[in-house]
Amino acid sequence: MLTIAALTCKEVVRRRILLVTIVLAAAFLSLYGIGVHYGYQDMGGSQYAGPMSALIAPMFLSLGLYFGSFIIAFLAVMAAVGSVSGEIENGVINAIVPSPVRRVDIILGKFIGYSLMLSVFSSLFYAAVLLIVRYNTGLHLPVKAGAITLFCLQPVVLLAVTMFGSTFLSTLANGIACFMLYAVGVVGGMLEQIGTLVNSQMLVNIGIVSSLLMPADSVYRKIVFNLLSAPGSSMSYMMLGPFGSYSEPSVWMLVYTGLYIVIFLALASLIFSRKDI
Amino acid sequence: MVIETDGLTKMYCQKVGCSEICLNVGEGQIFGFLGPNGAGKSTLVKILVGLLFPTAGSARILGKPLGDQGVRRKIGFLPENFRYQDWLTGVELLSFHGSLYGLRGAEKTRRIRQVLERVGLGDKGRQKVGSYSKGMQQRVGLACALLPDPELIFLDEPTSALDPLGRREVREIMLDLREKGKTIFLNSHLLSEVEMICDRVAIINKGNIVKEGPLGKLLAGAVEVEMVAGNITQKMVDELSALGSLLKVKGNTIRLSLRETGDIPVVAEIVVNNGGRLFSLNTRQNSLEDLFVDLVKEGGADKC
Repeated sequence: MLTIAALTCKEVVRRRILLVTIVLAAAFLSLYGIGVHYGYQDMGGSQYAGPMSALIAPMFLSLGLYFGSFIIAFLAVMAAVGSVSGEIENGVINAIVPSPVRRVDIILGKFIGYSLMLSVFSSLFYAAVLLIVRYNTGLHLPVKAGAITLFCLQPVVLLAVTMFGSTFLSTLANGIACFMLYAVGVVGGMLEQIGTLVNSQMLVNIGIVSSLLMPADSVYRKIVFNLLSAPGSSMSYMMLGPFGSYSEPSVWMLVYTGLYIVIFLALASLIFSRKDI
Repeated sequence: MVIETDGLTKMYCQKVGCSEICLNVGEGQIFGFLGPNGAGKSTLVKILVGLLFPTAGSARILGKPLGDQGVRRKIGFLPENFRYQDWLTGVELLSFHGSLYGLRGAEKTRRIRQVLERVGLGDKGRQKVGSYSKGMQQRVGLACALLPDPELIFLDEPTSALDPLGRREVREIMLDLREKGKTIFLNSHLLSEVEMICDRVAIINKGNIVKEGPLGKLLAGAVEVEMVAGNITQKMVDELSALGSLLKVKGNTIRLSLRETGDIPVVAEIVVNNGGRLFSLNTRQNSLEDLFVDLVKEGGADKC
């Protein structure tokens, strides 16, 4: 299993998946940093500087984390979309499956490799966003291991589904399905926030269902709430519109997310273990 | 027995992959597995190495049922459509495969060097697999199959991408492995290659084994005779046909395939006894190609 995990990490590096993502992330962070810097500086001269400054820094933070989640989600899907189907299509797996390694270990090894790479990338991205906001706005947020862990958990949720799809869908079909599912989670999460704001139970329910289908967005809401509801912080998490979190997703949502990952991994292992190659 | 299959069957919905395959492959031999395209050769190999699951029947490899993890350590496999991680170097690819087979440290390094030398890639190990020619990729695939020093090696068209020199080298490797007591299951289209090195062969057609046995025995009986005779009569032709199968009667030339080598003098007797004049009689031992073509045309099957 660890041999497969090590090969997966090497693949991400050698095939320049990580390099491309790092370059794009650097471009995003540069743009983001410039935006935060000038946005906050120019706002200092306006008449609303006082009341706005308490709101604008958390808004910049949530924007950074929200679009950062997008980038990392893309990395998760693009890296793993052909993890099984692609190797079956090109025949690489034909030399691996007959070796004395169980098929379930191939799935778990790949999952561990991708998860490790995504977690390192997510942690660095998270730290970069927090540093940019802190340096430019002075918003001081405590370093919370829980928030970092949750930020790393988001792509892992998507990874589990992508690997599951890769065991029975073609690479292209799996990529489309996973992005659509991610979009369902994102749009549902936004509708839920709007529903809470306008007191629409229907929108809230749509958000709950979409979170059950793809819980990555709930994890993001948990991070935002967790970060911006710290003692001493403003209540601005309630004023971030669709990027914020009006109510904290419960611990049970995290339990569900954990089970979601385990179930999709188990299904991926089961399907692959019975698959004719 | 190294390989024993009993009624091994694979169906793809209504289509037959292979049907009721009963094979026994003994230790230390090169077993040739032949068949036309789509006959089920690769299907059987894929079942035996664990890529496909049989629909019915059973098989034992090295005395254990299919899929046994311990046995897999003793099996090497070169797939027909060989593709490897092109972003790895030859050495890295072998190191990865070595780790899958539990090889570690100095032992792994030694084996990698040994197999790279054996397949003629001793100085190409640091190059990326993606930069290899197709023939070199097949060689590195063969190196992967040989790396764990397996007792049983499945080679699915192992020389398809090689030039004549490369084919000769691979043949020498196979013969060398047999010398060391290894068993080789060779799946090949190249009948001349099979004829040169195999101890036993099985021929599969439309998913069924149509002939199986020691190569020498399969070829020993059948012999082709071509003769030039005068005064050929219908009675003479009928009597000759009873000895085997008549292939051609044209003018003074008769060509027929005999079941037994011992019938050659009988052919001369029939011609003379029927008032014919025998001018020449040449014999030719049937080749594997002749046997293959006859069997595939007939399409009969040896059932378990």
